[in-house]
Amino acid sequence: MAEFSPGLEGVVAAETAVSEVDGANGRLIYRGGYLIEDLVPVAGYEEIAHLLWHGELPNENELDTLRQQMAAARTLNQSARGALMAMDGQIDPMDVLRTVVSAQGASKSLTKPSLAEAIALTAVFPTIVGSAYRRRQGKDMVEPRADLGHAANLLWMMEGKEPDLQKVHLVDSYLVLLADHGLNASTFAARVVASTGSDLTSCVVGAIAALKGPAHGGATFAARTMLDKIGSADNAEKWLTEAHGRHERFSGFGHRVYRTYDPRAKILREMAKTASPELHKTAARTEEVALKILHDAHPERPNATNVDFWASVVLTGAGIPKELFTCVFAISRVAGWTAHVLESLSDLRIIRPASRWTGPEPGKKPLQLAKR
Amino acid sequence: MTSTYVPGLEGIIGAQTAISMVDGANGRLVYQGYVIADLAEQMSFEEVAFLLWKGQLPARAELDSLALELAGSRTLTPAATKALEALPGDTDPMDVLRSVVSVQGVEHRLSRPSVPLAIHATGSFPTILAMFHRRRQGLEPVKPRSDLGHAANYLYMLNGTESSPALIRALNTYLVLLADHGMNASTFTARVIASTESDLTSCLVGAVGALKGPAHGGAPSAVIEQLEQIGTAENAERWMREARKRKVKFMGFGHRIYRVYDPRAKILKEMCRQMNPSFYDLASKVEEVALQILHEEHPERPQSTNVEFYSAGVLQAIGLPKEFFSPTFAVSRVAGWSAHVLEQAANNRIIRPQSEYIGPEPRKPVPLANRG
Repeated sequence: MAEFSPGLEGVVAAETAVSEVDGANGRLIYRGGYLIEDLVPVAGYEEIAHLLWHGELPNENELDTLRQQMAAARTLNQSARGALMAMDGQIDPMDVLRTVVSAQGASKSLTKPSLAEAIALTAVFPTIVGSAYRRRQGKDMVEPRADLGHAANLLWMMEGKEPDLQKVHLVDSYLVLLADHGLNASTFAARVVASTGSDLTSCVVGAIAALKGPAHGGATFAARTMLDKIGSADNAEKWLTEAHGRHERFSGFGHRVYRTYDPRAKILREMAKTASPELHKTAARTEEVALKILHDAHPERPNATNVDFWASVVLTGAGIPKELFTCVFAISRVAGWTAHVLESLSDLRIIRPASRWTGPEPGKKPLQLAKR
Repeated sequence: MTSTYVPGLEGIIGAQTAISMVDGANGRLVYQGYVIADLAEQMSFEEVAFLLWKGQLPARAELDSLALELAGSRTLTPAATKALEALPGDTDPMDVLRSVVSVQGVEHRLSRPSVPLAIHATGSFPTILAMFHRRRQGLEPVKPRSDLGHAANYLYMLNGTESSPALIRALNTYLVLLADHGMNASTFTARVIASTESDLTSCLVGAVGALKGPAHGGAPSAVIEQLEQIGTAENAERWMREARKRKVKFMGFGHRIYRVYDPRAKILKEMCRQMNPSFYDLASKVEEVALQILHEEHPERPQSTNVEFYSAGVLQAIGLPKEFFSPTFAVSRVAGWSAHVLEQAANNRIIRPQSEYIGPEPRKPVPLANRG
């Protein structure tokens, strides 16, 4: 039997055509063979979702059809509405998302994951997140709008007013950038659930559950929180030096796969300049100092800025409050999760690894209760 | 360094654990050093849950305090109650469990997995299922009883009357037998989610989703359905040989790990013989024929009866409807899931394997207007 690789680092757990993280060369390739930096200027989120599901970018007719299907699937059913209204407004929005997606997808009998379900699930995420946000503020939820695109509808459902076009563009670009990323922990969770023959909702709920972790989707929130603590460009050096002295980890730096600058971070860094000029200044100085400290401490490590760092600045510029960062990440990644699940159906084999026993020698006899 | 792809991670070590070991070659299942046969008919589910969580069997005082804590966790939160009531009465009970476990565990801030939270979740599973079972029948919910043990209270809340000691003992043995089983797909899902530093509820919700799959926990009801189709012992051979020509899968046979008879199936088979003679007569004949046919087809394979086959007969004798077989599996396995989450959290590294890209070489996207 093979050696144990903690975290399954370096272990190939799936074959996929949905995306490829080429860490050595700093490239992210989406299905069809497109580099992420080539897609951002030409395709919006719905086109990317189509690409991940079908393997090809849609033509105008296909895109229209997809937009209509998504717009028609934005409404919560009675179960989902009941679950949403049952929870108090201050619940962690990721827990709201996990619960309401589960309720929305509750069904009478087991169904095999399908493209139609993938579209419907993807479409309903902004409704849930927008409603959770409004409930958090003590406001009534607004109904989704069929005339808006995916990103615009998210902002509409959060704010209840006509969304600002520049913000829509920022959100849409963010959604494009985060839609898939190889076999990350949440996508892997979705594939493990799918491998048992379970339904798509169960896969997606499991993925949301994994994305919630601070070591995964929660990292954007952590990056923004760190920037808040630093406060200004002038304070960056002092704050980071002290934090490093206390052995605190810098949020937004380091990645298991990339050995060079994350291509998504590069794009977001550029967007951040105009998206949120003030925060960009603090972030740019923070990055400069953090990379220097990390390099001095471990010159051998490729400690590059990760996507969470610059995403936190861009999402701030788009008017997304930081407690929704992980949810907005989920709104993007659900396209990737569902694409992976659908892909895995073609050769379904239960993912059931071995384990290494580290417990006591088997065979000891249990003592009766009275003698313990 | 990257290893070659092994479908299903078969034989790849996914984790180190001291909680349970499946010794497939010798047909042994070991919980924290104890062989399952030494625990099954002597220990209460509560004692075994304690063993899985803490690594040793409880002393009297520890068991008393666990019983008290479990009894204190048998009431659903108002949010969970409302969410449960919002689900239609014909919802798949696994979807009910997934959704209501999710609401029951919502939180304002991220909490670290802990034994008290594990107890809390474990205590709530029977309540969720019993309340839903009552509702399906148009009956009022039954309030939990704190003077009853875990198995006895579950039956009491389902039926509204106390069950016989024999039935309680049978359910208890079932719960002990199924409480953990190495790195199965649902446990592995829970550990993947835990590895992102997510909360315990998220891990459990993901695990329920994985257990729902027919290749994992979803099969015991299929065993009953197949036996119903076969009808009588006399009909078994003819039905099964014809079914095989149509590539029908025999339900309740085959396991990736055991090379000899599953030790749990052995115990459950004997229980069936005593408790459910009509099931036993048919099932033991079907087993004989199935093993014969499977051996003829693949003499090299160690095709043996798995735990689900005789589980079905035991759960039927206990009086559970077949839609509640998989959820009752979860009532047991939640002890193992939460133990694994605690173990993962204590020595964590994010589980993020590699994938192998099988898509096309990088190319340039075409703008929307130019796509065919």
